[in-house]
Amino acid sequence: MKNLVKILDSVDILKMDRRTFMKGVGLLGASTFLSTYSTQIVSALEFAETKIIWLHGAESTGCSESLLNASNPDVAQALNKLNVNLAYHETLLAQQGIWVDGKLANTADLNSEILLEDLIKQGNYILVVEGSIPMGPAGSGRYLVIGEKPFKDTVAEAAKNATAVVAVGACACWGGITNANSDIVNDTDYRGIAFAKTDPKKGLFTELGIDKPVINIPGCPPHPDWILLTLGALILGKVTLNDLPSILDEYKRPMLFFPPDHVVHDNCPRRGYYDKGLFDEGAGGPNCLWKMGCKAPYAHGDCAMRKWNGSVSVCTQAGPCIACVEPGFPDSSRPLYVEAEDKGVLLGADVGTIAKVTVGVAAVAAGVHAVRRMKGE
Amino acid sequence: MVNVTVDPLTRIEGHLRVSTEVDANGVVTDAQSSLLLFRGFERILQHNDPRDAALLVQRICGVCPLSHSLTSTNALDNLYGVAEQVPKDALVTRNIFQGLNMIASHATHIYVLWGPDLANPAYKNVLATLGDTGNAVWKEMVGRFAPISYKIDGVPVPAGSSYMAAIPEKKRLQEAIAVIGGRMPGPVTPYPGGYFYKPSLPDIEKLASYYLEVMDFVSNYTLKVPFDTWIANTYKASSPQKAVSFVTEHLTDLINKTKGSNDFSRAAGWGDAEFYAAFGSELVGEKLLGLPASLKHDLIGGYKDPSKINFLSYGGYYKPKDGYDPKSPAEDRIFPSGVVTGKLEYLKFDSDKITESTAHSFYQNSVEDLQPAKGETVPFTDPNQIVYNNDSKSRYSWDKAPRYDGIPAEVGPLARMLNMKEPLVTGLALAFNEKGYSAANVYTRMMARIQETAILAHELLTWVTVDYDPNGKIAVPLDLEKGKNSTGMGLWEAPRGALGHWVSTDGNGKVVTYQCVVPGTWNMSPRDSAGVPGPMEQSLMGSKINAVGNILGVDYANPVGIFHIGRSYDPCISCAVHTIDLTGKNAPRTLRIL
Repeated sequence: MKNLVKILDSVDILKMDRRTFMKGVGLLGASTFLSTYSTQIVSALEFAETKIIWLHGAESTGCSESLLNASNPDVAQALNKLNVNLAYHETLLAQQGIWVDGKLANTADLNSEILLEDLIKQGNYILVVEGSIPMGPAGSGRYLVIGEKPFKDTVAEAAKNATAVVAVGACACWGGITNANSDIVNDTDYRGIAFAKTDPKKGLFTELGIDKPVINIPGCPPHPDWILLTLGALILGKVTLNDLPSILDEYKRPMLFFPPDHVVHDNCPRRGYYDKGLFDEGAGGPNCLWKMGCKAPYAHGDCAMRKWNGSVSVCTQAGPCIACVEPGFPDSSRPLYVEAEDKGVLLGADVGTIAKVTVGVAAVAAGVHAVRRMKGE
Repeated sequence: MVNVTVDPLTRIEGHLRVSTEVDANGVVTDAQSSLLLFRGFERILQHNDPRDAALLVQRICGVCPLSHSLTSTNALDNLYGVAEQVPKDALVTRNIFQGLNMIASHATHIYVLWGPDLANPAYKNVLATLGDTGNAVWKEMVGRFAPISYKIDGVPVPAGSSYMAAIPEKKRLQEAIAVIGGRMPGPVTPYPGGYFYKPSLPDIEKLASYYLEVMDFVSNYTLKVPFDTWIANTYKASSPQKAVSFVTEHLTDLINKTKGSNDFSRAAGWGDAEFYAAFGSELVGEKLLGLPASLKHDLIGGYKDPSKINFLSYGGYYKPKDGYDPKSPAEDRIFPSGVVTGKLEYLKFDSDKITESTAHSFYQNSVEDLQPAKGETVPFTDPNQIVYNNDSKSRYSWDKAPRYDGIPAEVGPLARMLNMKEPLVTGLALAFNEKGYSAANVYTRMMARIQETAILAHELLTWVTVDYDPNGKIAVPLDLEKGKNSTGMGLWEAPRGALGHWVSTDGNGKVVTYQCVVPGTWNMSPRDSAGVPGPMEQSLMGSKINAVGNILGVDYANPVGIFHIGRSYDPCISCAVHTIDLTGKNAPRTLRIL
């Protein structure tokens, strides 16, 4: 965290190498990013457009909704400035699948299935996946069939010719809510692209033998800046595929937005009440929500700095954090309204001492076991 | 007979397949609606703290997460025995929260999901036959409603002005929700007994300023007649006839002004709502206003047999007083509960009259028709049985077929406006009925959505500036003991229609059963045990598949009529199919697909 601030204060952002770029832009937000980079965006426009294929699996469209909430620039402006052709996106595109007597009809101008086939054939695109992928029942993937094809097959085909794959949202990253513990979770067998819960061996790509670089943008939903800035950095060449091992954590999350040494609690608007030892035990109060189950001490996200929806608020301003950016969400956060285990560690400690603990360490003070659990250990 | 299938029907939430049989005249003779996705929602709530439901059920749908969250909160209010004590200011805050989301959801549907079909090239071809006037109308349609990344005949078409302007407005509305919800989507504030966050005076001022900005959009793009004038003469009109007369007189003025110039621009007074109100309907546009042509959206998406359809509302938005009745009697909510029959008779809503059939769904239940609370679900686990290209006698959807008193029901803005006897929509429905059209059709469905958006904008201002008191009480304490061995029912209205959640707990206060009956289940339902098709299926049958009554002949490869009808319901498939019970034999047997 301190490093990030230092970078921001002391480094000429235009001269940054690719790695520090990834660190720096995250703190600036999309609008500063695009205005700072106007020259480079103009030159980017002189190059070929970047195509994006955005596939929807088992999802709620919440991630796309979140993307549409991007402010200054909004998503349409950003795509325009970055010369992105959002070539396929089921919620937004003009086309739809049209079949006449079982055969695809019309052209790619109106038929989404022809469009998708063409795009995959042409290659040279970034593949974004929103939503999880069912392997069930019995490995068939038929719990989600679109255009007569199991969704897992469509993802596999689209992945083949993609230059990079970005998993957007908890479902695409680890299965998310579709993979939460229940009596039926093994039967539906929902997978994320690179993980199932925290297990990389059970990720869809490993299962299907696909070897492609994957970036995870978790969150339920993810912040639109996380999505746009990641795509922007890839498009502008600020991040190359070779850089990924150094900028992603073990769960393939960009450390810039999901810093290993920073949690939401560090910058929580209610932090002052926590430092004073004032805790709410019901709804509607102004105090720290630890006792109402707030998981901000375990949530590795820059939410409280970046803020949400045009920076007007953040979850913990209004209610408890549910740590939706962590692997294994939602199981890792349940029960949502019960303080994470080991409350003795926090409440037994001298609150004044806790207040002096440096940023980032508070999470440890708040419950080592809980942190481990969040990581699925 | 030609099979014309749309799969996927895009620009909706989730994954939907619409399969039709079309005759040589381009008229649909048979239709099947298939929901293609199967998740596992209610099961993940089992054995857990019921309070988690209000946040986790938001993940059923990212477009209307607040509706699920508030419906769940209603069920939890009931479960913990606090519904009658929820403070007035918490209820008003919930109204604001839901109202903002419903406006945003409708605006997204109108401009981003549904509107682009008005830029379908079929309209260009039809309108070109009408000379300068036709070309001028096309120029408005493609200029306002074309989506991003759009091409006609391989040539890129710039995104429409209304489409582009609507995206930041939707974003602004979401920002307003975040002011009182932390973030959007995924707000963390719905909580039984009240609301988690107490909006402050500065928050209320922010909401007011967002409101003014959104109303700027409305007056610049949607409605050129002053908003208050519109509300006073439609929503507040003394009779349905007066509301319709006001609109037709206003449109007549516009037509008279435009005569000779072919200027249908917004600058000439043609807001998007006025434009569609006049040109969308044959009855309104051609017969009442004397326009040379219309899109004839009133001739598609209607019901041929009024005895096989109801319009159902569970009731939404609390009256500004402490406490509410979880059973939602008609007088308890601002948007009342009720049932309007296909013949436009008004009945009282009784939740005991809901049953669900699985005769045409991918389930192997012992009994096909059951009340939701007793429902069972034994789905196919053999992949070879999950097929979508068999005929309408087969099983073809993950959706069940809910019926009210044995009859399919349409839910959503049209059903709500009819149940609340909203003058303009009721007046239009009566006029269509009288002239031999179906009261429900693509045009009335869209006009109801537009009018409901206006009504909510009107009510919202009252909630924000009059009803809400920043010094009031925002929650009553929750006694978790009362949530043991208890049950709760939450009835509410989502943007897409009637939404119900039911919860029960064990002696440890953990969830035993959790069930949802959602709008998409009703509208997109397959056939029932008696073989009666669901609302969308019925509304496809007998409709023409091409633009403007197939005037240029039949084109199976661009069935824009099917696109319009399907999207006119604003389908939300994630909501409609959100649960699965692979065994059906484990207690409890009440976990169901919806």
